[in-house]
Amino acid sequence: MTEATSKASGVDATLRALLADVLGLGEARAAALTEDSGLFGELPEFDSMAVATVLTEMEDRLGILIDDDEIDGEIFETYGNLLAFSLRKVTD
Amino acid sequence: MWEMRVLTQTAEHILRIAPAGIPRATVLIVPPLFEEANRTRRTLVLAMRALAAEGFAAVLPDLPGHNESLVPLVEVDLARWQDALAEVISGIDGPTIIASFRGGALIDHKAKAAAWWRLAPVGGASLLRTLMRARVSADREAGVASSLEALQDEAKSGPLLLAGNHLSSAMVAQLGTSEAQGVEPLRSVGLGADGIAGTPLWLRAEPGEDAAMAEAIAADISAWSKTCGVS
Repeated sequence: MTEATSKASGVDATLRALLADVLGLGEARAAALTEDSGLFGELPEFDSMAVATVLTEMEDRLGILIDDDEIDGEIFETYGNLLAFSLRKVTD
Repeated sequence: MWEMRVLTQTAEHILRIAPAGIPRATVLIVPPLFEEANRTRRTLVLAMRALAAEGFAAVLPDLPGHNESLVPLVEVDLARWQDALAEVISGIDGPTIIASFRGGALIDHKAKAAAWWRLAPVGGASLLRTLMRARVSADREAGVASSLEALQDEAKSGPLLLAGNHLSSAMVAQLGTSEAQGVEPLRSVGLGADGIAGTPLWLRAEPGEDAAMAEAIAADISAWSKTCGVS
């Protein structure tokens, strides 16, 4: 595994664990998330408080800072979008 | 076998779960703050039952402005919570161990205890950021322009409504800079193999419970009490 792919799988695992914690998905449902899985608007647990909690936990667990104006609705549309955003942030 | 009652001699309700007879010591539970308190309450009370089964009295006071309190949250700040806990502990007979959770660690140092125990302490800035983000997210969903910066400014001149919590300027300012203070003797644990096995229920969008985690919390506090020579 190259350094980049190992980093990517680390971010992926962190993100799945985080969503499992915040949304109470359980390991199986978190593991079953695909790039196209809908988040905000699709998972009933994913309300504005959950969005806020996810953002703060992403900062803590991925060691990143997320600026207000970086966040738009698209990031939380699908798991793939959230993962792509996270990968961009950790490699910035 | 347990006595369970709501004490009302102070201004706030205190849930007390105790074994029959004289307890080994009293464990004062300082709950997480704001919404995190609701998400964890059930598991905290399960931990209190487990502590009572080990011979401890466990007390969980309502913080002014939280739970059944009649005090409006907007009149409260961290300093008032610290004083309220100091008052609760001064009314307890025998040795007391303070067990605080998450943001509870920000307000547990003014009370005099024989030992302290903290689970997953968190800085006030992180709690505040999440609350503000929830407000920004809800505002934007409703088509209202909103930002963390604008909310910070607004907080300087008056109270803010954040995710259902009316917070005073003083509360917002104190949260922004508050960190858990040094106390002794202290055992500070996180979740995981080296700490308490369990899930961060305080993050959960919908309240859950974890009986195994409650047992683990009680066992860890009991062991720490022995280590400190409390009982």
